[in-house]
Amino acid sequence: MTRAFTPPISKSPRMPDVLAISGLTAGYGPLRVLHEIDFRVAEGERVGLVGLNGHGKTTLFRAVAHMTGWQSGSIKLNDTEIGGTRSTGPGRRTSAIVRKGMAMTPQGDAIFPGLTVRQHLDCGAYSKLAWRERRQRRDMVMDIFPPLRSLQDALVGKLSGGERRMVSVGRALMVDASLYLIDEPSLGLAPKISASVIEALFSLPTDGRAMVIAEQNVALLSGRVDRMIGMHAGRIRGDVGHVGLE
Amino acid sequence: MDILGTLIHGLNLAAIYGLMAIGISILWSSIGMINMAHGATFAVSGYAAWLASSAMKPVIAAAFGKTLMAKFAMAGVTVGAGVTAGAMFGAIIYLLAFLPIHDKPNYPVRSLIVTLAINLATVQLLLWYFGPRSRGLPKLFGFGKFEVLGIPIRYDQAGAIISTAVILGLVLLWLKVSRKGLEIRAMMQNPEGAVLSGISVRWTALPVTMLTGALAGLAAILLSQTIFVSPTSGALPLIKGLTIALLGGLGSVPGAVAGAVIIGFLEATVGALPFLGQRYVLFAQFLFIITVLIIRPRGLGGLLDETRE
Amino acid sequence: MADDSRYYQVGQRPREVVLHPAGDEPLRRHRVPFTRRHLVKWRSRANPKSLRHERRLSDKRPLWWVLGLGALLIATPFLSNSMITIAAIFCMFAAINVLWTLVIGTAGIFSLATLAIVGIGGYAAAGLNVWIALPWPLMFVVGGLAGLIVGGFLALPSTRLDGLYYALLTMGFAEICRVFVVQLKVLGPTNGSINSVGSFIPRDWFLQRPGLLMGFGGAFILLLLSLLVFRIVNSERLGMRLQTAREEVGGEAFAEAVGIDYRQARLYVFLITSGCLGVIGAFYAMFYMSISPSIFSLDQLLLLFAMIVIGGLGRSEGAVIGTAIVVLIDKGMLELGPLRILLIAAIMLGVTLWTDNGIAGIRDQFRTYRNRKKSEARARRTEKGGEVMPEEAIEFTDKQEVYYRRFQKRLRDHLKTLITDDLIEQHRKAPLGKHSDALNRVLNYFRRGEMADKYAIMRQPDGFHKYKVVAFSGERGAPPRLVDDKTYEDINDAYHAVFLLRVNDLLES
Repeated sequence: MTRAFTPPISKSPRMPDVLAISGLTAGYGPLRVLHEIDFRVAEGERVGLVGLNGHGKTTLFRAVAHMTGWQSGSIKLNDTEIGGTRSTGPGRRTSAIVRKGMAMTPQGDAIFPGLTVRQHLDCGAYSKLAWRERRQRRDMVMDIFPPLRSLQDALVGKLSGGERRMVSVGRALMVDASLYLIDEPSLGLAPKISASVIEALFSLPTDGRAMVIAEQNVALLSGRVDRMIGMHAGRIRGDVGHVGLE
Repeated sequence: MDILGTLIHGLNLAAIYGLMAIGISILWSSIGMINMAHGATFAVSGYAAWLASSAMKPVIAAAFGKTLMAKFAMAGVTVGAGVTAGAMFGAIIYLLAFLPIHDKPNYPVRSLIVTLAINLATVQLLLWYFGPRSRGLPKLFGFGKFEVLGIPIRYDQAGAIISTAVILGLVLLWLKVSRKGLEIRAMMQNPEGAVLSGISVRWTALPVTMLTGALAGLAAILLSQTIFVSPTSGALPLIKGLTIALLGGLGSVPGAVAGAVIIGFLEATVGALPFLGQRYVLFAQFLFIITVLIIRPRGLGGLLDETRE
Repeated sequence: MADDSRYYQVGQRPREVVLHPAGDEPLRRHRVPFTRRHLVKWRSRANPKSLRHERRLSDKRPLWWVLGLGALLIATPFLSNSMITIAAIFCMFAAINVLWTLVIGTAGIFSLATLAIVGIGGYAAAGLNVWIALPWPLMFVVGGLAGLIVGGFLALPSTRLDGLYYALLTMGFAEICRVFVVQLKVLGPTNGSINSVGSFIPRDWFLQRPGLLMGFGGAFILLLLSLLVFRIVNSERLGMRLQTAREEVGGEAFAEAVGIDYRQARLYVFLITSGCLGVIGAFYAMFYMSISPSIFSLDQLLLLFAMIVIGGLGRSEGAVIGTAIVVLIDKGMLELGPLRILLIAAIMLGVTLWTDNGIAGIRDQFRTYRNRKKSEARARRTEKGGEVMPEEAIEFTDKQEVYYRRFQKRLRDHLKTLITDDLIEQHRKAPLGKHSDALNRVLNYFRRGEMADKYAIMRQPDGFHKYKVVAFSGERGAPPRLVDDKTYEDINDAYHAVFLLRVNDLLES
């Protein structure tokens, strides 16, 4: 029997919300995927979003980035309203939202196959500050993902799946976003590699930023995120809060 | 047969065709549009340069007289007007053929049709307004020739070759090292990934169309040193540019450069051969291109086309 | 019910013509001679509401074709000479465009060499007629053969090159033809054109009214024949095979996987079309009694392209509608001068910016748009998708389950609104007996609940008036479990406790 929905309690009530979603409904054409979602992520939090395939995790991320077919409801990023009812096609407002401080790693390898690793990482440094400091930032990403260091001039399209995922995640880390949405970092990877990708994600400092990781494999996240939120049938089901880091 | 003279002539043609072909290639690789209005851009820039130069002629004559400065000022006005008009026309193409339809299905065919319509309308407008008479542009580089290593080179040939090489070099360098260039390449490979990297597809496409328009404007000025400006003068450069872009493999800039050089030399050589002559130039070119395309269906360097998908 | 009650026609098309044949009347269907096809698509069904047998036309396009072409045929003899010429040119270009549609739409080859093939067919026929005095009926044969040969030559790279590459290549081919013809030494004096070609129109009738009418008649027959070719190629075996390969994504791979040699089929379509275009070329030379290199020119090609673009790529009605519009503007409004081309370009621009597939596709586009908006709005306002996710829905073998769950959800939502403090108070006062309608509904819902976790009252063995609430396990042999330790002294209290538990569950669901 499913429990009634209780609003998630953030780790520390004093921290401001980075992402505050309320009443978000979204879908594609005749399909309604998300149903009145309420969801908050506070600063400094790492949130795991778990749920089976096709229950709306990716759509939730895509709705934040305005890439769904249609959507309505309020989405606040750092207290700026980025949601609302949208009638234009998907993706028109995405770049503006990204510039407001959202970094998203899409599911799979939605990356630029013809660029080198270095250029690919530079693509992520879209703000003026980040572009000026792109060398240091690249170094930082390479520290997180050491295998990339020797591949800087290789074409991304020729890398292995794990390396591509690292590049894909690394691109999102090139800029000081306040909200990171990482969609299925372990999808299609060997367990060892996916563990190392997740490991790297958790090694990031969380001061001033928040991270939401969507994952099917609960074991990879358990005990390492501040909160775990389940999604079922387009609704948020259950909120296992306060899972302290061990 | 004057081999060295043919060589220079070939380089001259290669330079002008290259400007057209690279514009078409860049546009295809970055925003997936086959710009059939490139010829219209060419003609419009030619007319703009002609208008500006004839309007400024008395002013410049009054200010500088017959000094070298006057020549520089004239050249500046002509080139400036042509390039600006080309860029403005590129912006119009962006407004009509990119902005309203870029996220609709079947975009390449749609944009092809829209640019065709723009081309048709522009040529008719020019015909209507200016009449079919052709106009000559002021000679930017003056008349006369000089000799390098015993090869006589006309000033306009040298000017065309050098300015094209410099400008193409600058453009390619800009595309390679600048941030905008990186954004353009990112956009052409994966539009969805590009917007997730904070790159706005709509705002990145505008400089591309303006840049290619400016290149076509420059080509118009340079070619008009040897031929005249007329409403239909854009048709042949458009066809040449398109076929060279095809030969090079649509979207590949090095391929387009190589294609332009090959086609330029082919034209010069076939035109210079006594038993073939000027009338078989087009024939020879198309036969060559068809042969290359049958052997290599994606052209000389058509790899980027595959990465688009 | 009173007699003056009115009945309204309902349904999407209340004014559609429906035949009501007598039920015992034998079905008579006329077939096209020598084939198994029917002329029009009548479909019969028994209307379940009116209980009447009805028969309606499910595809009304043949009617529109007959009306349109019939009107053209009847009206033309009464028009002025210039209008007759326009009608004849319309028929000729429409024939070319219908065949071109076959290449672009059915075969999916983006060829721009159509006019070049027409021109070559025309030149071959005209040349042979002028120089070796070929009689005019044989000119059609020569034109067709020339078209077939050129088509075969052009078809070679078509399967190897990508769409746009091939389009630009064929455009270049037309240009080569023009340059070649202009530079032929034999045709030097006439600037590349062949004049005084023999024709089916007698020489002294040329440009006279009977000659014009003959020309129109010939062009009309040509149009009918090309429509026939379109019908035979597009909707019979060849077209059906190609339909598989036409899908945007993976269509070709799929066709190959199911054993359709789509390349060969495309080649056949291209060859057939080229032959027919050659015949049209011969007709063109006869119609004007001359042929000039302008047929290869880019402008002419663009005009033709504008026609099929405005009408809609890939549909025969689109080709004809587009041709009608462009020919009327281009040939019928000569007084406008260069504005004509501007007008055509503007129409082309508008059609491409706002429609998906030309004017002929507007109807479908509007329906798709309306359906999309409708379904989006429905998805926004209903929640039925929430009970069963689409992925789950395809896993159910019994689709009834999907609807059952959705019904239950709606029912629960409704019952939740009924539950008030008054209602609970009413039940507390009298768990059994006469209840209000709302309470009855709620109780009825509870009674129909599933056995698993259903609450019951168990009399305790240690006292006659001692009850506890239990919940059934739902499995045979597994005993019920105790819900709580509370003991009720009064059966009514126990009833009410069960009621409260169920209300609680209902509100939580």
